[in-house]
Amino acid sequence: MHFTPLPYLDPGSGSILIQIAIAALLGLGVAIRASWSTIKKYFGIKSKSQDEDTDSDDVQS
Amino acid sequence: MSKAEQLSASFRDPSGFLFTDSGILYRQINRAYSNDYARLMDSGLYDKLVKASLLIPHVEVDQFPAESDAAFKVIQPERVPFISYPYEWSFSQLKDAALATLSIQKRAMKLGMSLKDASAYNIQFVRGKAMLIDTLSFEVYKEGEPWVAYKQFCQHFLAPLALMAYRDVRLSQLLRVYIDGVPLDLASDLLPAKTKFNFGLLTHIHIHAGAQKKYSDKVVAPRKGGMNKQALTGLIESLESTVKKLSWKPAGTEWGDYYENTNYTDSAFEHKKQLVKEWSAEKKPALVWDLGGNTGVFSREAASSGAFTISFDIDPAAVEQNYRTVKTKKDQNVLPLVLDLTNPSPALGWDNSERDSFSARGPVDMALALAVIHHLAISNNVPLPQLANFFAARCKWLVIEFVPKSDSQVQKLLTSREDIFPSYTREGFEAAFSACFAIRKSESVRDSERTLYLMERK
Repeated sequence: MHFTPLPYLDPGSGSILIQIAIAALLGLGVAIRASWSTIKKYFGIKSKSQDEDTDSDDVQS
Repeated sequence: MSKAEQLSASFRDPSGFLFTDSGILYRQINRAYSNDYARLMDSGLYDKLVKASLLIPHVEVDQFPAESDAAFKVIQPERVPFISYPYEWSFSQLKDAALATLSIQKRAMKLGMSLKDASAYNIQFVRGKAMLIDTLSFEVYKEGEPWVAYKQFCQHFLAPLALMAYRDVRLSQLLRVYIDGVPLDLASDLLPAKTKFNFGLLTHIHIHAGAQKKYSDKVVAPRKGGMNKQALTGLIESLESTVKKLSWKPAGTEWGDYYENTNYTDSAFEHKKQLVKEWSAEKKPALVWDLGGNTGVFSREAASSGAFTISFDIDPAAVEQNYRTVKTKKDQNVLPLVLDLTNPSPALGWDNSERDSFSARGPVDMALALAVIHHLAISNNVPLPQLANFFAARCKWLVIEFVPKSDSQVQKLLTSREDIFPSYTREGFEAAFSACFAIRKSESVRDSERTLYLMERK
């Protein structure tokens, strides 16, 4: 099997570090949203934003 | 023996490259990419993306590879009728290209893959939709890894879109200067201070630019597994919502309401539409360039003959309006683009051969030059024989409108300058163009002093 050990474009040191920091924060939001919908599901409340596993995120109308 | 010729735009990626053989476009996939390609095809991602009109379809072929030592497979992608570049797109075109890229990334992540680049040049408009044309842009996603294309996405899409929305729509032209997207420190400097109160722009542009500067000369190795899938999802969703919130409404630009402010009567307008429709139906061109296409009214008449029609205009507002019409009418064969005919897109990039110039992307079967000759001959001082040469190098058939000096639009151009154009008459025009073209038809446009010609290149 072949793997490219490093990306062929330089992703940039600063870009990588800031990305990890921002994403950690944003990932928290995703986690909270996920657990919130689990809680709601438990109590039988239907959530409006259940398109996670569908392909409804089509952007071009 | 193969006469394969490698395309100069695809030299960067070691995964493979484009080449042509006997006029057919192929993409060689290198062995180094075989694992990723197999995942793209076997995971169902390829089918999903093609079905959603987000990825260019291809077929695997038996064609002999251009560089057989490295070759794994050769594929033949569907040919894009016309390659356009981000500095030729209107605001919504760039925005849709950005959203298509993120939508692809989201779908890829669900199937264990990720985009390894997010170049705006990898997106093309095919059948009215923004579509990824680089089949080799995917890699197997490795949990814990950050998005390698983050910087590129911000430079190619987010920064120019933010500048267009918050500062001036003409700043899209920075993409013509910076081939790898707008440098983030420049975008951060040019954006108004209020964008620091927009969370997405604050983080992805302003703070991002600061971090780039801070670590520009430092080697940092982020710890392994530093970014889980949830964090990556959060990042992509944040970019998506930031892009979605950016908007630009055409207002107050040059020709935004051009058709409402002319001396055209409805009957002259309809007559012109009818002639364009008739002549294109008769000559059946495959590819048409409407030069000075405004909001695309006449482009659509030419396109009704089945021709793929590119509607060029200098005014970003008109092109924006045209693109919005493409979307609402679901036009599959009209492509609106921003272009200044007096300074068209040059050849750009490494060795001046990564991005083709406007002229190198021609010639085409038919060009329309309606209500544009006076702008070129009078506002831009181009002598009529030079104009004839220009059009003869661009097309076989030319539908051109002569607008005489007595026309109010020409009068307007002459009010503030000396009339140094003694040969700008109908006779002078016909004489100049007859050097390169045979005039096949000429019709006086009803209720106007204008004439429409159908000419064939000699």
